[in-house]
Amino acid sequence: MTESTRDRDWIAPMELDPDGSAPLPVEEEAPEPVPGVEPEVERLPAVRAMRGAGGSRVGRWLAGALAAIVAVALGFDTADLLARSFATSLALGVLVAAAVSVAVVSAGAMLLRELRSLRRLRRIEELRGTADRLEGEAGHGEGDRFAGALARLYDGRPDLEPVLVRLKDAITDAHDDAEVVRLIDREVLAGLDRAAYQLTLRASRDTAIATALSPAAVIDLAVVLWRNLKLVREIATLYGVRPGYFGSLRLLRRMLANLAVAGVAESAHHVAVDALGGSLAAAISTRVGQGVINGLLTARVGITAMHTCRPVAFGPHNRPSLGRIRTELLTLPKQVL
Amino acid sequence: MRIQDLTDLTGAGTRLFDQLGDAAGRMLEGEIRLGVTGLRRAGKTVFVTALVDNLLKAGRLPFLDVMASGRFRAARLKPQPDADVPRFEYERHLEALTGPAPDWPQPTRGISQLRLAIRYRPGSALRRAVQTASTLNLVVVDYPGEWLLDLPLLRLSFAQWSTMTLDMARHPPRAPLSADWLAWADSIDPAAPAEEEDARRGAALYTAYLHACRRIEPGLSLIQPGRFVEPGDMKNAPLLTFCPLPGDRRGRHSLWALMEERYDAYKTSVVRRFFTEHFARLDRQVVLIDVLGALNAGPIGLADMKRALQLSLEPFRHGSSGWLDWLLGTRIDRVLFAATKADHIAASQHGNLKTLLDGFVAEARSHIRFEGAAVETMALASLKCTDTVITEHEGRQLRCVRGIPVGRDRPTVLFPGDIPPGHEVFPPGRERPYSFLSFKPPAGAGADGRGLPHVRLDQALQFLLGDYLE
Ligand SMILES: Nc1nc2c(ncn2[C@@H]2O[C@H](COP(=O)(O)OP(=O)(O)OP(=O)(O)O)[C@@H](O)[C@H]2O)c(=O)[nH]1
Ligand SMILES: [Mg+2]
Repeated sequence: MTESTRDRDWIAPMELDPDGSAPLPVEEEAPEPVPGVEPEVERLPAVRAMRGAGGSRVGRWLAGALAAIVAVALGFDTADLLARSFATSLALGVLVAAAVSVAVVSAGAMLLRELRSLRRLRRIEELRGTADRLEGEAGHGEGDRFAGALARLYDGRPDLEPVLVRLKDAITDAHDDAEVVRLIDREVLAGLDRAAYQLTLRASRDTAIATALSPAAVIDLAVVLWRNLKLVREIATLYGVRPGYFGSLRLLRRMLANLAVAGVAESAHHVAVDALGGSLAAAISTRVGQGVINGLLTARVGITAMHTCRPVAFGPHNRPSLGRIRTELLTLPKQVL
Repeated sequence: MRIQDLTDLTGAGTRLFDQLGDAAGRMLEGEIRLGVTGLRRAGKTVFVTALVDNLLKAGRLPFLDVMASGRFRAARLKPQPDADVPRFEYERHLEALTGPAPDWPQPTRGISQLRLAIRYRPGSALRRAVQTASTLNLVVVDYPGEWLLDLPLLRLSFAQWSTMTLDMARHPPRAPLSADWLAWADSIDPAAPAEEEDARRGAALYTAYLHACRRIEPGLSLIQPGRFVEPGDMKNAPLLTFCPLPGDRRGRHSLWALMEERYDAYKTSVVRRFFTEHFARLDRQVVLIDVLGALNAGPIGLADMKRALQLSLEPFRHGSSGWLDWLLGTRIDRVLFAATKADHIAASQHGNLKTLLDGFVAEARSHIRFEGAAVETMALASLKCTDTVITEHEGRQLRCVRGIPVGRDRPTVLFPGDIPPGHEVFPPGRERPYSFLSFKPPAGAGADGRGLPHVRLDQALQFLLGDYLE
């Protein structure tokens, strides 16, 4: 800073009119980053958002055109159908018309729900980006807005109501933005993390036992797939994503993209070593071994879902580990045998 | 063996077992001695009061892990560990801060101590298996900040101390205050035979000079020996009748020899005792520094405070003297340097305040790190008296503080001056770049039963005690 700019910026201490002041937070221009302050915490790499990656423009045009054709065809067919029913008898016509309107309305409602769920997922990704920035800059004045956005995300969740009240009490105007994010992390998200970990633990035990006991490979494949999907939806709902069908698909895609980031993607060989290395019993029974492997995979899926759905990225001190699930699963062979 | 004997025996067995259990429980009860150091008016008494109140009420410490994880049961005051040390008057200080006409506690006159038992559920499953609830006894000591500057005397001989003090007294800002005493010192002959009357006169003049140093605005920090201005229980004790003298060591029975004798006696029976009884047994230490007060005092006040701080931190300097190396080497493993009264500035400035503090303590910090203890710096307020507000001023948004200044009864919005991000705090050409008013304690503080409002006290506690409460 040169002498002249400092002179222009410098303001002498003074007392001001008490009526002209507003409490924080106030909307204002983006705060200037503090120079030379590096984020101190070791952070995980930011979770990637796959915005329109792979999907080429031509592909999207094709899909759009096909959808339009199908919609038009459907419309013609429906109109045709209505006309024919009315021609046959008035009663049938009314019946079909009623069925069609119900179908249209519910399809519309479903679409709306899907869109909303997609928006929530995007919202959480935005929040995560903001949290990352706030923690790095340690500025002041934006934390309240962030806390408000998070509280809105969890609005109407009876299980989180006391926690949100506690959070509101805990945050004061003296906390800087990074501290607000840390408070949210500790007061609100830590509890959700514990619940999500429990869900993951339960799901991985379920898949492990189902695989170990199922008589045919096809059945256990179906069970594992279904259970994993259910787990992802449970975790997403817990963190406030409330996924619909497309939402879940999108979530799964994000998860695939982030498997590496979340640090849980290891080679299948590694998984097998995890599962078999510790336990002789597992080596004896391939089915039980298979069960443990599937259980560990489910655990990985659950933890990745946690990384993908959390509004504030995990730090090095609180990232969920496979450790406990692994020990739990390794006792399984003894239980089953 | 008769049945009677047998029941007796089993009874004794149970009793023995119970006693063993008690003993084991007591052994498992942890104790931690927290040293709260700080020059005078640094905020020690308010810090201890707020700390105790917040632990007792347990409603405002979200950054203390034991609270956040729900393992905290309750805290409660316990009888003194040392019967001969007065109790810290927590209730009276709290009453003053939260009464109908809130006011700050009086400057501390003597030493006092408090023990607080914190009951909590251990975090690790292993420890929970042994004991479902553990207790940590926290012992804190409060004393007049003036006494802290006695500690560096332990390292100085009478001759060294005299030279240093006389030199300081001859220069501004002290020169106008020390005229009487210096005139006396120049008029006497240190080699003359000792007369009690001379000693008394010199000590009285020197004490008056020290009182003047403390009284002027901006106040000076470097006042030695501390007992001359805050005698505690030693008022008028013959031990306090000495003062620095010019010149070198003189013959036996001279005034110089008498003064030196008393100085050494002061060192052994006052300073060393204070040190061994209260500092040598510390586990953790927090050093409170009134950085803002020093800025308020202008370049001269700041320089004086820095020098006093340096002296009081001398114990932490490498290779200075054996006793403190021993102290650091064996016990204190965490030291927190805290800039107090952070509520005097807008919250957006706390980062710059911390940077400034970092600069102040850089040397002590690296030495303590070298010794293997962990060091942290922080800007905190034991009792938050202001809110940060935004005010429009000539088209710019200013972050100001709003509170009721001492001596008024209407809230004021104050822009106290921005602390620059670097270390150049007094830009050339600016007369008084800062104006930090002292604020009254907020009306109705802690009326919600959650404890006194504060800034970062919980983070300070987490650093100082957190690992004991795992
Ligand atoms: N605004 C504000 N002022 C404080 C705070 N803590 C202390 N003060 C001010 O600092 C003054 C001194 O605080 P004390 O706690 O009495 O200081 P001390 O270190 O005990 O001082 P001695 O007993 O003289 O050594 C108080 O009278 C207050 O004006 C605080 O957290 N916020
Ligand atoms: Mg005091």
